[in-house]
Amino acid sequence: MFFHIVLERNMQLHPRYFGRNLRENLVSKLMKDVEGTCSGRHGFVVAITGIENIGKGLIRDGTGFVTFPVKYQCVVFRPFKGEILEAVVTMVNKMGFFAEAGPVQIFVSNHLIPDDMEFQSGDMPNYTTSDGSVKIQKDCEVRLKIIGTRVDATEIFCIGTIKDDFLGVINDPATA
Amino acid sequence: MSVEPFNRLVKLAARAFYDDITTKGDNQPKTGRSDNRGIAVVVLDALTRRQWVREEDLAKDLKLHSKQLRRTLRFFEEEKLITRDHRKETAKGAKIYSAAVAATAEGQRNAKEGEEKIKLHTHSYCCLDYAQIYDVVRYRLHRLRKKLKDELENKNTVQEYICPNCGRRYNALDALRLVSPDDEYFHCENCNGELVAESDKLAAQEGGDGDDNARRRRREKLKDMLQKMEVQLKPLMDQLNRVKDLAVPEFGSLQAWEARASVAGRAVNGDSSSNDPSKSSQGLGYGRTPMTFIGETKVKFVLLIYDSASTSDCTVEVAFSGIEGKEEDVKSQTGSSGLKVLPPWMIKQGMNLTKEQRGEVKQESKMDGISAAEFSHEKKSTSDDVDNKSLQDEYVKAYYAALLKKQQELEEAAKNQELLQVSNSNAVPESVSNRQVGMKSKREEDEGEDDVEWEEAPTGGNSGESYKVNDLNVEAEASGEEEDDIDWEEG
Repeated sequence: MFFHIVLERNMQLHPRYFGRNLRENLVSKLMKDVEGTCSGRHGFVVAITGIENIGKGLIRDGTGFVTFPVKYQCVVFRPFKGEILEAVVTMVNKMGFFAEAGPVQIFVSNHLIPDDMEFQSGDMPNYTTSDGSVKIQKDCEVRLKIIGTRVDATEIFCIGTIKDDFLGVINDPATA
Repeated sequence: MSVEPFNRLVKLAARAFYDDITTKGDNQPKTGRSDNRGIAVVVLDALTRRQWVREEDLAKDLKLHSKQLRRTLRFFEEEKLITRDHRKETAKGAKIYSAAVAATAEGQRNAKEGEEKIKLHTHSYCCLDYAQIYDVVRYRLHRLRKKLKDELENKNTVQEYICPNCGRRYNALDALRLVSPDDEYFHCENCNGELVAESDKLAAQEGGDGDDNARRRRREKLKDMLQKMEVQLKPLMDQLNRVKDLAVPEFGSLQAWEARASVAGRAVNGDSSSNDPSKSSQGLGYGRTPMTFIGETKVKFVLLIYDSASTSDCTVEVAFSGIEGKEEDVKSQTGSSGLKVLPPWMIKQGMNLTKEQRGEVKQESKMDGISAAEFSHEKKSTSDDVDNKSLQDEYVKAYYAALLKKQQELEEAAKNQELLQVSNSNAVPESVSNRQVGMKSKREEDEGEDDVEWEEAPTGGNSGESYKVNDLNVEAEASGEEEDDIDWEEG
C-alpha cells in the first residue's frame, strides 16, 4: 500500500556545497540518499514529493560538515499481509516462483500455486495448467495475495499466493 | 409470498448459530437463573409468528423483561437479522399500530390496546428482515466453509523447508537467501544440502516427527470439522436452496406496513364479522395473548374436571368439538386476513401453545384443588360476559379436561392392574368406575404430592390419546406434536 507521509532526516553536507545552491544541493543529496531505500517501519521510499522545512545547520566539530534537519514529504510503499498486488515474475524454479512488485520481492511457493499447475523444467522453466492455457514463466505478470511479510530494518520480503479467486496470470508478454 | 419456508429458515438458523448466545449484563445473582442461553432462539421463533411487533408487547408475550429482550434484539439488529424502528408516539400513534395488528392477527387485542393509556413515549418496533436474513445466513455459511477449507488446504500458511542433512529449518520467508544459482532447488545455508518442503512426509519424519504428528492430527480434526459442519448444517443449506427462488416476504417499513395492514384489515374485518362474528371475536388469541388466555383457562378448567368426571361420554364429545372449533378458528383466520396469509405452521404453533397451556393448567389444578374450583364456580356465575365471549374456549378447555381424565384413567388402570390383579376382560370397566369414585380422593392426595407425577403428564397425556380415542382429530393433533418435536430436534 502506498502512503504519503512526512519524514525527517539529518543531512550532513560537505562544506564545498555551501553557497548559493546550498538548498538545491541539499535536496538533491537527500533524494540520492533516501529514494529507493527501505525502512522496516515505513516501507520503501518511492519518491520525495516536497520539502517541508529545513532547520538550522549545525557545524560538526572537527570535520566541518554541517548537519541540517530536513523534513520532507514522500511516497512510501509498504506491503501488508492480505494485500493484493500485481507483480512481475522474475524467476521460476521447482520450489515456486519469485516476483517483484516494484521494490518488493515476493516468493510464491509451489504449495500456493493452484494444484492444476505443473512445473515444467527446461530452458524456460514455468508452471503450466494441464491444458496449457495458463503459463507462469519469467516476465509474465501475476496478481497475487500477500500472506506473509518479513520486515527487517532494511528490507522487506513477502510470500504470496495465487491459490485464490481472481489470482494468477493477468498478462503474459510472451504470448501477447 | 409465502412466509413459511423463510420462517423455517429463520428457525433453523436460530438453532444453528444462536443457540448458545447469552446476553450479558444480567444482574440476577443465581448463575442458574441468569443462564439465558436459548433466549435468542425463543425470540427469533416468536418473531417468525409476527410481523412488526412492539417490543414491549413481545416482552410481555414472552414473559421476558423488556430490558433483556431489548438486549437480545439489539444483538439481532447487529447481526442484521431484524430491522427495528423507534418512534415517539402518542396514544393515537399506538392505535394505528394496534389497528394494524388487529387486522393481521386477531380481534381480541384491538379492544385492549385501545383502552391502554399511552403517553408520549418512545416505542420500539421490530420485525424480521427476511431478505437480509437470507443473505446473512448464506454469507455466514460461506465464511465458515471458506475458513475451514483454507486451513485444510494450507492456503494461507507459510511453507516450511527442512534440510535433511542437518535438520535445519527454514520457511518461505527465507526463500531469497536459499535460492542457488546452479539449480532450481533451495539449498541449506549451513551444509548446502537440498532442502525439502516440510509437508513431504518422508523428509518430515526425518526432521521433527512430533510436530508433524500434531500437524496431521490438526488436519484430521479440520477435515472432521468440515464434514460435521456439512452434515449438521445440511437442513439449513437445503432450506436456503429451497428459499432461493422464492419471493422474499417483505413487510416494508413500519409505517408502510401499518398503512397496508390497516387498510387490508378494514376490508377483511367487515367480511368476517358479517360471516361469523363469534369466531372473529374470540379464540384467536393463541398467538398473541396467551397470558390472559391462560388465566381464564385456569379458572374454568378446574371446574370442568368435575363435569367430565361425572359424564365421560359427554366430555369426550365436547373435546372433539373443541378441536374442530380450534381448527375452524385457524381456517377462518387464514381466510380472513388478506395481507398475512397464515400458513399451516400457524396450526402447529397453536398446538405448541396449547401444550404449554396444558402444562400450566395442570400445575394450577394441583395447587388449588377443590377450593379453587368452588371459587371459580362462583366466579363463573357472576361473570357472564366472560362466559359468552369464550364459549369456544371452554370447548378447548373441556378437551384438556378430557385429556387429563384419560391420563388419569390410564394411571388408574395401571394401578388397578397392579393392585387388584383383575382379569383383562373386567379391567377396563372396573377402572373407569373406580376412577369416578376415586377421583376426589385422588385429587386431595395430589394436593400433598410432589411434582413428579405431574411432570410426567405430557407423556401420559399423549399415550392416553392413542390409548383410548381413535378419532381422527385427536390423532391429527398427536401427529402434529410429533412433527413439532422433530422440528425442534432438527434445529
